[in-house]
Amino acid sequence: MATATFPPPPPFYRLYKDYIENPKSAPEPPPPIEGTYVCFASNYTTDDVLPSLEEQGVRQLYPKGPNVDFKKELRSLNRELQLHILELADVLVERPSQYARRVEDISLIFKNLHHLLNSLRPHQARATLIHILELQIQRRKQAVEDIKRQREEAQKLLKEALGTLAGQ
Amino acid sequence: MDIISQLQEQVNQIAGLTFNTFGTLQRDAPSARLSQNYPEPPPNPTEDAASFPEQPKQMSAALVKAAKQFDALVAALPLSEGGEEAQLKRIAELQAENDAVGQELQRQLEAAERELKLVQELFGQTTDNCLNLKKPD
Repeated sequence: MATATFPPPPPFYRLYKDYIENPKSAPEPPPPIEGTYVCFASNYTTDDVLPSLEEQGVRQLYPKGPNVDFKKELRSLNRELQLHILELADVLVERPSQYARRVEDISLIFKNLHHLLNSLRPHQARATLIHILELQIQRRKQAVEDIKRQREEAQKLLKEALGTLAGQ
Repeated sequence: MDIISQLQEQVNQIAGLTFNTFGTLQRDAPSARLSQNYPEPPPNPTEDAASFPEQPKQMSAALVKAAKQFDALVAALPLSEGGEEAQLKRIAELQAENDAVGQELQRQLEAAERELKLVQELFGQTTDNCLNLKKPD
């Protein structure tokens, strides 16, 4: 005998029994959620922002501040990564039981690298928006020029036609 | 693929190369002598010994190449200086210009449509007169 493993759906469908006759007798849909909400026992937020590294419990290796020099930090993190890989190789040769600290350092560097790259995405989004706006302005200007030209040509043709007709 | 995704792929590739390198070396390394008390370890079979010294060289060369590729990608990042405020200012300017050009376009379009209607009406009257279907006013 098959037993139901999931709970039944919520019984709100009963409230909509007379919806066809009277749409007002049933409750309105709930308003959109703002702020944080709980879904399947975990917290979600409606504000889409990249959580900073401290919120995830990861140490931040590059300097904080409003304007981070992304290229410089990415390059120095890359060099640190290579150095740590070499250190890990050395530790495995000399003192193999002490690998854990080095592996932790390497994974910390990777997490910082990915966080830096993710924080470049808003910049990329704004740059894409700028590019799209520039393209649209260029297309609109072109359309304005085309319409002006066609109107002038039409005026010219009408004047010629008027001249021809008047000459007859 | 855009450059940030390429950079992310490159980071993941470096990570993959790293753990593949260490894993392969640990798996394939010949036995080492731990202390003077123990006898020499037995010699390993020849098929391992033939390709073994090249493996670390090739793998470390791949790792260094991947790191250089990452540096090249970072150098190719089109990061405009000025940060967020400069970008937002530029977006506001472009929006204002877009609105102005949009209104100009709208005006031209309306004028052109008015002229089109006028011409169509005149053309209709002319053809009617030509074909003598309507008495001229």
